[in-house]
Amino acid sequence: MNHVQPDYARKHPSPRNKRAAAVVGVGHTDWVGDWARCRAGEQPTDSYGYGIRAFNNALKDAGISRDEVDGLIAGPTTAYERLGELTGINPRWGGQADAVLAVAQAVMAIEAGYAEVIALVYGNDQRSVGTQYGGPEAMGGGAFLSYVYHSPWGLTSQGALYALTLQSYKHARGFTEAEMGEVAVAQRGWSSMNPNAIMRKRISIEDYMASPFVCEPLHLFDYCLINDGGVALIIAEAERAKRMTERPVFIEGVGRFDLNRGATSLEPRIDDFYLPAQQAAAAQSYALSGLGPKDMDVLQVYDSFSVHVPLALEGYGYCGVGEAGKFLREQGIGPGQKQPVNTSGGHLSETYMQGWAHQIECVRQVRGECGERQVAEARHAHYTSDVAGKCFSIIYGR
Amino acid sequence: MNAIEAKTPKPVMGLYDRPMWESISARAMRLQRCRACSAWQYPPGPSCPQCLSCELEWTEVSGRGKILSWVVFHRQYLPAYPAPYNSIAVRLAEGPTMITNLEGAMPGADSIGRDVRLVYVTMPDGMVLPRFELAD
Ligand SMILES: [Zn+2]
Repeated sequence: MNHVQPDYARKHPSPRNKRAAAVVGVGHTDWVGDWARCRAGEQPTDSYGYGIRAFNNALKDAGISRDEVDGLIAGPTTAYERLGELTGINPRWGGQADAVLAVAQAVMAIEAGYAEVIALVYGNDQRSVGTQYGGPEAMGGGAFLSYVYHSPWGLTSQGALYALTLQSYKHARGFTEAEMGEVAVAQRGWSSMNPNAIMRKRISIEDYMASPFVCEPLHLFDYCLINDGGVALIIAEAERAKRMTERPVFIEGVGRFDLNRGATSLEPRIDDFYLPAQQAAAAQSYALSGLGPKDMDVLQVYDSFSVHVPLALEGYGYCGVGEAGKFLREQGIGPGQKQPVNTSGGHLSETYMQGWAHQIECVRQVRGECGERQVAEARHAHYTSDVAGKCFSIIYGR
Repeated sequence: MNAIEAKTPKPVMGLYDRPMWESISARAMRLQRCRACSAWQYPPGPSCPQCLSCELEWTEVSGRGKILSWVVFHRQYLPAYPAPYNSIAVRLAEGPTMITNLEGAMPGADSIGRDVRLVYVTMPDGMVLPRFELAD
């Protein structure tokens, strides 16, 4: 169990990291078009091809050429060297990371002077090649023993891990099935206004309750999509960013805390609901930025499954511990409601880019270019993720 | 493929898993207990996460535990597990948590917190699995 937090959980990152770097360009692939092509049996390209298309779009959005890029971070689904070969970048700083860690590493490398303009490139052909996220050969099984260890008992899917989490969370907090449904309903409300979203048909709580269970207590609507695509961001040193663009989006603060004890047996999820790690990551990013949950115009939550959202609302301080159900019911996270969450539709309804598309939605909301789904006068956007108890908090602002 | 022919999904079989699975086959499950601090651990490993001691002793468990959480799979993913089937998380009396199955009944609204006891179930392909049944 992870209830007792050490003193270092209350320490904060150096203030030098605040607004040290800014996003100057974002890009992505045609998720909707490639979804249709994959469904028709085509393979539009491979993971690298999706990454390069997104990178081209990010360069265009930033208004810079490839030759200005002196750092490269590849997503987890492409080999760093091959992506570097295809992008033609010989960087002075390089790495490979998932979405949140890529942003955090870019800020750290820039703050430390190892690079000034870093490209973050992600591409994934998971749909067209049939990547397995469950089963004995589950993706990520090499890095997370919990993904494969319980297979003799028939528990092999990512959904099952979060179904166990939701069941014990419901029991501990009195959280209800209908309250869980509010998340999928709200995110469809957002995606219905997003031309880049794959699933745009609005649903009601009644639709949610009537939908089949996959791994009970999770309904079909609680699961993310599996689709092909790519995302890229260009992150630059703050002063250079201001010279490059009139609309830099600064990274105000990053916080992180991980729960590893008892991880294979899922204790950070089913005992702790990731809470101590979320609270520590939140405190770091709030202290660094001088901002808090009340300042966040939009919140983007990593949502491989809908249950991440109530956990995040409690863990990152948007409501009290045990109050997420009431918050979802009475305040709301959908269009026109109290706290906009996953304004693109998220992994459930827009596109499953493993947290990468959430970063560009933060940037676009803060820039004010989200069209019909734009949250009025959004100044600050908050991204949180808690995958397997590795909790991050990233705050974006103008 | 029917359930009779279906292979039980293979366990992860690292150096420290083998003695545990041998004890399960003998229907007397043993886990490692730390000689220095007495803590038990699951899954097995080279050292004690509580105190970092490498002096561990294989010791039979009491077989008592409590249900922490449960799920019911409504789709079939594996030949050995036709839907619906369940999986539960059990906190062993010794401390560690184990992901396993509930035998004899499907879990439901009142399952969390119930006392359970260890039973050994022979799968159609002959593999012995540690599972739990309600104790009260
Ligand atoms: Zn010990």
